[in-house]
Amino acid sequence: MLKDREMEQRLRNEARTLLEQGKVDWFIGFEPGSLKFATTPLITKDKNDTERLVINSFIVNNLADFLTQIKGRVGIVAKGCDSRSIVSLIQDNKVAREDVVILGVPCTGLIDLSKVEKLTGKYRDELDDITREGNKVTIKVNGNKKDFPTTQLLFDHCLACELPTPKEYDVLLGEPSPPIANPVAQEKIEKLKQLAPEERWGVWEKELSRCIRCYACRNVCPACFCQRCFVEETEPQWVFPAPRWQDNLMFQIIRNIHVAGRCTDCGECERACPVNIPLRSLAREMYDIVGELFQFKAGMDKDAPPLLTHYEEEEAEGIFR
Amino acid sequence: MIKWLDFMNPRTDWEPKLVGFLCKWCSYAGADLAGTSRRKYPANMRVIKVPCSGRVDSLFILKALRLGFDGILISGCHPGECHYQTGNYRARRRVAITKRFLEYLGVEPERIQASWVSASEGGKFADVVTEVTNGVKEVGPNRLFAERQGNGTKAKKRG
Repeated sequence: MLKDREMEQRLRNEARTLLEQGKVDWFIGFEPGSLKFATTPLITKDKNDTERLVINSFIVNNLADFLTQIKGRVGIVAKGCDSRSIVSLIQDNKVAREDVVILGVPCTGLIDLSKVEKLTGKYRDELDDITREGNKVTIKVNGNKKDFPTTQLLFDHCLACELPTPKEYDVLLGEPSPPIANPVAQEKIEKLKQLAPEERWGVWEKELSRCIRCYACRNVCPACFCQRCFVEETEPQWVFPAPRWQDNLMFQIIRNIHVAGRCTDCGECERACPVNIPLRSLAREMYDIVGELFQFKAGMDKDAPPLLTHYEEEEAEGIFR
Repeated sequence: MIKWLDFMNPRTDWEPKLVGFLCKWCSYAGADLAGTSRRKYPANMRVIKVPCSGRVDSLFILKALRLGFDGILISGCHPGECHYQTGNYRARRRVAITKRFLEYLGVEPERIQASWVSASEGGKFADVVTEVTNGVKEVGPNRLFAERQGNGTKAKKRG
């Protein structure tokens, strides 16, 4: 935690200097949220607001999403996954590199509060404290302390993380941390793959019949930056707007195809889903398909061309007869 | 929508309905050649002429499945022979990810097929259509997006 405090202090100083010197018009970071433990994005022009900036194990949002919505030069706090999303936006010419000042945060994984609630059987308001040290998370409830390994409490996408420390940054706020890449993260997908095709389709039919089409997954996704989404098109109407499972599933399939090669497996879609549809199992599979077929990893190299605008003369053998 | 719904009801005399997206510069001409050279092939495919295989959006594929088509064929020029230089390369990437992703979700790979057919390959076109039709016949009718029992909207239940 001490490391986080130091990083926090450095971040506040850097952010203040950036705004004071007019190097950026806006600063995007995290501040404490109104709910216990939670943080919320802080988007500000005011240098005094930078005192509220925090870095801890609950900075869940992918702030890259705001870059496409804000005009002017922006200073931004970026974990490994955020930095990949930013690079991906740079690759797509959505953001100019010189317009962003990236303050990189070496990340050691974020704690999933819903996993904490499941594990302890208590609501987050009833918990006194959650502290983290290395691979151990200590949860304090009613004065009793209990230790859990991080593999039980981190987000799935954090357990699968390939780039915890940003590769593209202007200032790195701490010491680089090693990738986690724990196979636990892939369990859900492996289990699905062992089912027969009809069963798999049945699983998605069941999951997506819960969908209320709030489009939270689309709105938090930094890769979903279309001015007008295909679901809102009426002529032709690709997808019926009522939340029926067929249309919900079609929406998710197309959304994942649209973000193929941009999706960095940041897990925001699954986190934002109010009805807990395992959307990461869709997104991650697309990420893996793209990696396997075209050796493409989104957001790793800002000079690489975007996936679907580029081609090699010989690739994806066996798809065309 | 309504007129497609009868696709979703399996019948005893079921014949697959396919949709083919054919590039106008090659595969469409190939299909013409197959016809003028009197090659016989199953008449299950409805052809949509597209200006280039690169025009085929993943949405088209999904929409066809959603409407109840049993199979989809995307056919374009051989690599390096695209009229617009790069359209078929782009189509290849797009079709590849769409096909693999749908396979993961549980769509039979036989339903989504792609081929390179040039304007002089009438014979190949006939063979491809025969193979695709037989492949789809094996996997059976497309019930992917069909309404399951007790799964309709309330309005529908009331009749």
